Amino acid sequence: MAKDPILVVLFLRGGADGLNLIAPSGDTDYIAARPPFLRVVRKGDDAGHLLSHQVADVDFRFHSQAGELAELFEAKELAVIHAAGLTDGTRSHFDAEDRMERAANGTNAGGWLGRWLNGAGLEGELPALAVGTSAPESTRGSSDVAVAEQMEQLIIAADHDLSPLLRKRLRAGFGSHDLLGAPIERLITLSQTLETRLLNPETGELGPYRPSVDYPEENTLSEPLRTVAQAIKLDLGMRVATVDFGGWDTHMDQSGDFADQTATLSSALMAFWRDLGEAREHTCVVVMSEFGRRLRSNSSGGTDHGFGNAMMVLGGTVDGGKMLGEWPGLVNDALDDGADLAITTDYRHVLGEVMNKHMAAQDLNAIFPDFTHQPRGVFG
Amino acid sequence: MLTRRDFHKTLAAVALTSLATGKTAKANIAPFNNLVLNRLTFGANAQSHTEIETLGVREWVEQQLSLPAEDDDLTTRLNAIRLLIEYEEGRSENDKPWDAVSEYRALQYLQTDPADLLHFLDFDEPFDFGERERPAAEVIAASLTRAVHAPAQLREVMTQFWHEHFSVNAMKDEVTAIFFPSYDALMRTHAFGNFRVLLGEVARAPSMLAYLNNDSSRASPANENFARELLELHTLGQENYFNDLYDDWKAVPGALNGVAEGYVDQDVYEVARALTGWSIGDGRETDEGTYSPETGQFAYVESWHDPYQKRILGQEFSANSAPMEDGDRVLDMLAAHPGTARFVTRKMLCRLGIEDPSTAYHDLVAEVFHKQRNAPDQIAQTLRAIIFHDEFSTTPAKKLRRPFEYLTAIYRTSGSEISPRSDAFHWMLKQAGWSQHRVNPPTGHSDDSADWANTATINGMVKLALECHAEWFEADTGTLRTPPKGVSNFGQLAAYWERRYNTADGALDPVLTALDVESDSALWDDGEDLEWISSGMIAALSLTPEFMFR
Repeated sequence: MAKDPILVVLFLRGGADGLNLIAPSGDTDYIAARPPFLRVVRKGDDAGHLLSHQVADVDFRFHSQAGELAELFEAKELAVIHAAGLTDGTRSHFDAEDRMERAANGTNAGGWLGRWLNGAGLEGELPALAVGTSAPESTRGSSDVAVAEQMEQLIIAADHDLSPLLRKRLRAGFGSHDLLGAPIERLITLSQTLETRLLNPETGELGPYRPSVDYPEENTLSEPLRTVAQAIKLDLGMRVATVDFGGWDTHMDQSGDFADQTATLSSALMAFWRDLGEAREHTCVVVMSEFGRRLRSNSSGGTDHGFGNAMMVLGGTVDGGKMLGEWPGLVNDALDDGADLAITTDYRHVLGEVMNKHMAAQDLNAIFPDFTHQPRGVFG
Repeated sequence: MLTRRDFHKTLAAVALTSLATGKTAKANIAPFNNLVLNRLTFGANAQSHTEIETLGVREWVEQQLSLPAEDDDLTTRLNAIRLLIEYEEGRSENDKPWDAVSEYRALQYLQTDPADLLHFLDFDEPFDFGERERPAAEVIAASLTRAVHAPAQLREVMTQFWHEHFSVNAMKDEVTAIFFPSYDALMRTHAFGNFRVLLGEVARAPSMLAYLNNDSSRASPANENFARELLELHTLGQENYFNDLYDDWKAVPGALNGVAEGYVDQDVYEVARALTGWSIGDGRETDEGTYSPETGQFAYVESWHDPYQKRILGQEFSANSAPMEDGDRVLDMLAAHPGTARFVTRKMLCRLGIEDPSTAYHDLVAEVFHKQRNAPDQIAQTLRAIIFHDEFSTTPAKKLRRPFEYLTAIYRTSGSEISPRSDAFHWMLKQAGWSQHRVNPPTGHSDDSADWANTATINGMVKLALECHAEWFEADTGTLRTPPKGVSNFGQLAAYWERRYNTADGALDPVLTALDVESDSALWDDGEDLEWISSGMIAALSLTPEFMFR
């Protein structure tokens, strides 16, 4: 029997500089607007990885530290949609993240994943996992979401004698409590299951998760993605996972920080993808950020908040190895407000296609209300 | 024969039934007084109960507003802290060696003039990073002791509020770290003072200047990081951001009459220009051969300033104004703006337990804030408007304590002596989603209960409740390892904790059962066992809606 499809949303918080991640390295306006250390170059040790399929004749390259992303692209598992984003002009992180993750006007409740979860009426023990210590706005409105940095953090007082009593009290004390009732119920249920699955019945000790590949060490994204892989392999009915990866707000001395962030993203994502094994066939990863950054750099060696950005979709059934969408160019007249990369693909076109083709959601209007969906060919 | 285990199971069923029928709670304190304490302190405790019952709410609040920030007993406690510092041997960038260190060291930087800490910025000097960030680590450790033990509780609550409002990640780098003690002092000094004064100090505070990069902002193009958060997080708020207008300043309501109701992106760019040159006196090279003074204070670099004309919130700024005049005028406009009054008072109400105030209540509080904008005690007056309002007393206790507040409330309720010896408390709070003074994004922590109602935070709270008195936690000095006065058996111990938690007689019977002890058995001699029993009782009493909501 075919496995249910799984969606992983990896959100790069802070506004990742798409013009430094997947860059039009041969574009003369690009070269003129930034010093070499804030762009992807074509020659030398730091030369970027050329994409074998281009959306425009400007020599698009992945950042030199994104070797694994280039590999996934060339293996036709990764698709790139450039000049994508949120078309409501906002250059505030928090406003942009909220708008993107709600993906609807004020009259529609919750976030886009929350609306899908509510419509899907999933019955698994773990329909959705938000990796971290709080759930993102995109899952707002759904009570199907568990929040944890690691799976074992969903076990209540694993090694404590009072654990059964505390559980009983939590259940009795909060029952239908309007705020805590639902998360406590989910915590208690998951705790019971995970105890039998993760703890050694003899010693009560936690059996570590053994991934099928080594994740990169000293990499802040390794643990969150390992948690997602473990959750998938535990087979608890998880359909959606969210991972937040911060640190992309590079207003100052961007060069070194951005290279590190990119290496972290690229190497951890590759490890995760390999770790999944056969689950790759029914898993899809979307990589997105709230906005891109200004074409021209500032005087602190950084870039300020911009507009259009690159999105990436990784999946076993993705028609990868392609750049999709339209490239608006970087000449002054083509820029948004004369300063930023313009948006030619509303981010909802990409998410909608993933929800429809991968997650088999039929009613896209329920997820992205008042929006006319046009697939970009992510799945061919 | 009935096994011991079965016997206790039966007992538990009986006890749970009696709990369900609801014995009356001990009326140690008037419910409203308790609510006031839980909103205006880091947790009602025995001493504050006595104070408020004696003085009445109004007098108690006035007393809190008049208490000085520092206090002899608190100073003694801060001086007694021995905080772990531990690192390997290493070498500086120019190859000077340092030795490995592992010791419990007294706090030494809370009052130090930052000018005396500038050597920590020099990577040719042989210091492990642990030494460079130690000033911030000291503030973080002290914040736990202050929250639990400071007599001036309302001032500490507001200090934490302003820290969150003007959020800085103290551990971002060595610059934010060495200036963090003075940043912390700023929040405490002005906690009840004037918003414009506080705003001006924050905009000149080296920790903030470094955290949001204004210290490197120069013409041209300016660095917009601080300017944007100044508008969005510190003053006008997202609710007054006309994002869709971008550069169409004339379309912002009021702009053509000289008082724009909100801001657009173009205002962000212009404010960034107005603040160019606002930097730090840490001896940095500002122009070839020129260095900022080594004052450990704010420094203005005239050559970095963009002197040309600007238009901000519909007002014209002429070119070549006096040093810092552009920036100060921006701060004046923002602090006096009605939008700022609404945004900031909304957050104050929320912090004090009123997440969803009526429009009339919010209007009234915002009006006090706005009208008193030049008063030296503007914030104190605003607090009175919040607290002495009917809606403050009629709003039910529906605000979830966030992890730091939950931890401190447990300590205050249990009467523990807190003296953090390591940052173990920080790592436990982090699992529940709380990073004291170490949040990366400038938004700080959410203050919306709904954002904390999730499995990670709840399970983190369970762990805090169970573990916060344990020896390894290194915060409590061993309070639970000796029996309370007059307590010699387990029944009395349970009664003692029931009384402290202001809860029903017999609430802990199921715990006695689960712990497999008889209520008339004598307490064990072993301190660790005793601590374990009391921790269980505290966890059971702390994991109730009555305790978790305020």
